[in-house]
Amino acid sequence: MFFRATGLAVEASGRRLIDGLDLELERGQCLVVRGPSGVGKSLLLRQFARLDAEVAGELSLEGRAPAEWGAQAWRTEVCLVMQGAPELEGNPADWLRAVESLAAQAGRETSDPLALLSEWGLAADKFERPWSELSVGERQRCQLAVAVSRKPRLLLLDEPTSALDPDAARAFEASMVGKSTIWITHSPEQAARIADAVLELGS
Amino acid sequence: MIELGWVQLAIAGGLVVLAGGLSVLMELGVGKRLAIASLRTVVQLTILGALLEPLFRSELGWLVGLACLVMIGLAAHESVRRAGRRYRGIRRDAFLSLLIAGGCTALLATAAIVGVDPWWEPRYLIPILGMVLGNGLTGISLGLDLCLRSIDEGRGRVEALLVMGATPREASRPVARAALRSGLVPILNSMNVVGLVTVPGMMTGQILGGTDPLQAARYQIMILFVIAGATALGTAAVVLLALRALFDADGRLRPERLRRVEN
Repeated sequence: MFFRATGLAVEASGRRLIDGLDLELERGQCLVVRGPSGVGKSLLLRQFARLDAEVAGELSLEGRAPAEWGAQAWRTEVCLVMQGAPELEGNPADWLRAVESLAAQAGRETSDPLALLSEWGLAADKFERPWSELSVGERQRCQLAVAVSRKPRLLLLDEPTSALDPDAARAFEASMVGKSTIWITHSPEQAARIADAVLELGS
Repeated sequence: MIELGWVQLAIAGGLVVLAGGLSVLMELGVGKRLAIASLRTVVQLTILGALLEPLFRSELGWLVGLACLVMIGLAAHESVRRAGRRYRGIRRDAFLSLLIAGGCTALLATAAIVGVDPWWEPRYLIPILGMVLGNGLTGISLGLDLCLRSIDEGRGRVEALLVMGATPREASRPVARAALRSGLVPILNSMNVVGLVTVPGMMTGQILGGTDPLQAARYQIMILFVIAGATALGTAAVVLLALRALFDADGRLRPERLRRVEN
């Protein structure tokens, strides 16, 4: 199995939100995670990326546990794109350089983030504009372009198109076809278009 | 040097009474605090003087060492008290940083630079350590406070790098740099204006004690360099130790280990 979670639990300030979750994902497939707000969807993705202390359960990617991958290698391969880009300094090109300079990112085969941006209807010159001058949708696409261009094995996408217009959202969906993704969306229409499988939380 | 008795101090105290009168007259409400501060000044410094006198005469190495450790402990306590956030082990980290910075540089100053014999001669070591700690703790507490605040409030920036595979060191480098810079600001400022706006305390003391002003200036230069080195070393140590405490073995940020305190 490509990606597997067994008996996974999610907690928020001591309260158990998800318990005993089992999940499997084939390579190249898209799993959509749905459910009402506050049910723990984003925290679940953070667990997959091993960004919060684990509560219970096991994870594996291509049959190897996180410990075998190593903490940093796991996160470069199971790459989380968080909802709402943080206030970063400089511009997206600076951000790309900062990411490229990380030890865990050295020697990766990558794609051109500018090509991705143009697929998603964003002019390349936006990549050189300060983050503070970009709209939320533009920031979202620049953030996604940097993450996707690093070619992680699994992309964890937390409402990646929430600030995109319908055309840009469709273009983004199209470029995710064939990639392994776990995707949070609130739109039933989008879920119907992209999902190979659906995980309903809080039902 | 002309000796000061209690009568002379009482005359100087009259100036404090004047300040107190001003407080009452203009309803500043600091009269009580002024009285307490004045009393503390008298009590603390008198005790210090009374303790130093036998310490200087004792010629006991372990007693000097103990005095140094107590001074470092008090400085660590004060630097933690000034930080707006805490974590488990912050006292130990502050103590270690001040021990490394204060201890190393003060010993360097007495043993290598001034060349005192024995190297722990308290008449040199204790005042130099005191000055290094007093200034170093300002840098350490500023650096520590900024470091903890940036981690607490700038969690998103750190995690943005972590999700791209950054190690804790890579992800916290901007935080560490800003914290180190803020810790060095006070000593840089005082090195720039020293002698222009202020005659520093140690130089004043030496001149009053009858030392040639040029020699007093050299001592002051030496001590400022030592303080600058100690502050850089101590701030770097405390920032590294604090960051180490806030990440876990899997390279995750653990902001829940931080606790805000009201100062």
